[in-house]
Amino acid sequence: MKLVIFAVCVAATLASYLATRALFMRFRQPLLNPVFLSTLVIIAALKATGATLADYQPAKEAMTFLLGPATVALALPLYNNRQVLKSQALPVLAGVLSGSLATIAAVLWAGWVAGFARGILISLGPKSVTVPIAVEIARLSGGEPPLTAAFVVATGMIGSILGPALLTALRVKDPVARGLALGTVSHGQGTAVALLEGETAGAMGGVAMALAAVFTALVAPYYLPLLLP
Amino acid sequence: MLKTLFAIVWQSALLWLVFRLGTFLVQALHVALPGNVAGMLLMFLLLVTGIVKPAHIEVAGGFLLKHFAFFFIPISVGLMAFGPLVRQSGVALLAILVVAAAVGVLVTGLAVQALNGRSPR
Repeated sequence: MKLVIFAVCVAATLASYLATRALFMRFRQPLLNPVFLSTLVIIAALKATGATLADYQPAKEAMTFLLGPATVALALPLYNNRQVLKSQALPVLAGVLSGSLATIAAVLWAGWVAGFARGILISLGPKSVTVPIAVEIARLSGGEPPLTAAFVVATGMIGSILGPALLTALRVKDPVARGLALGTVSHGQGTAVALLEGETAGAMGGVAMALAAVFTALVAPYYLPLLLP
Repeated sequence: MLKTLFAIVWQSALLWLVFRLGTFLVQALHVALPGNVAGMLLMFLLLVTGIVKPAHIEVAGGFLLKHFAFFFIPISVGLMAFGPLVRQSGVALLAILVVAAAVGVLVTGLAVQALNGRSPR
C-alpha cells in the first residue's frame, strides 16, 4: 500500500510538472508558473483524496534527492559566464547586497505595520534566503524555523511570479540584472525562472542566491535586532 | 540514447559527490553556508582550476538545470501544513511578502542596471 501511495505521488507530481511546464512554455505567462500551478494541483489532490502531508513525505524525499547535485551543477553556467562575473564584479556585489538589505527591511516594516508579534517578524526576516540557511538564521535569532521555511517557500513562489513582470515593467532588460534580482529575492525558485529566461540570467540567479545566503547569514545577528521594535 | 543515460548517471554521481563534500566541509569548518551552495562554489573552483572539465558534468548538469524548477514542487507542497495560519492571517502575510519581494527585486534590478549602464562594456 505504502509503495502504491509513493508511486502515485511521484507519478502525479511528474505529470503535473510536465503538463504545467508545457503550458508555461507555450504561453509564457508568469501566473502559469509550473511550481505554483503544480503545487495547487498536488495540494488539491491530497485534500480531495483525504491524504496527508505524511503520505506525501516519502515521495518528496525521493524527488528532492537530486536538488543538491542540481545546485552544484549551477557552477556550470557560472563558469561559462565567468567573464561577466569578472567584468561586472561591482554591480553584482552591490546589487545583491542592497537588494538583500532592502527586502529584509521591507518585510520587517510591513510585518510591524500589520501588527505581527516579534517571533513572527524574526521568522520573516530571512525569507529570501535558501531554506537550509534561512532556518538556521531563524533559529539563532529566536524565530520559529518551520514558519521561516514556509515563508521562504512562499517568497520563492511570489518572487518568481511577480519578479519577471515587475522587472519588465521597470524596463530592466539586462539578463545580468534580471537574474541577480530573481536570485536575490527568490533563491532557487527565482533561479529556476531565471534559467528559463536564458543561461546568463540563470547563472546570475545562482550567483545571487549564493551571495545573498552568505551575506544574510553574516549580517542577520546585527541587522535584525537593529530593525526590530 | 543509452550513452546519454549512462553519462547522466555517472555525471550525476560526480555532482552528488561534490555536493556531499561541500556539506561535509561546511559542517567540519562551521561555516554559515548550506552544503549545496558550498558544493556549487567548490565545483566552480574545480572548473576554474581545470581539475574538472565542463564536459565531465555538462550532460547531467544541463538536464538537472533544465528541470531545476521541478524540485520546488514537492517542497512547496509542504505549505499545506500551515493551513490554520494561512486561514487566520494569510492575506496579511501574503501582502507583506509581496511588498518585500517587490522592494528587493526593484532595488537589485535597478541598482545592477544603473551600475552596468555607467561602466564601459
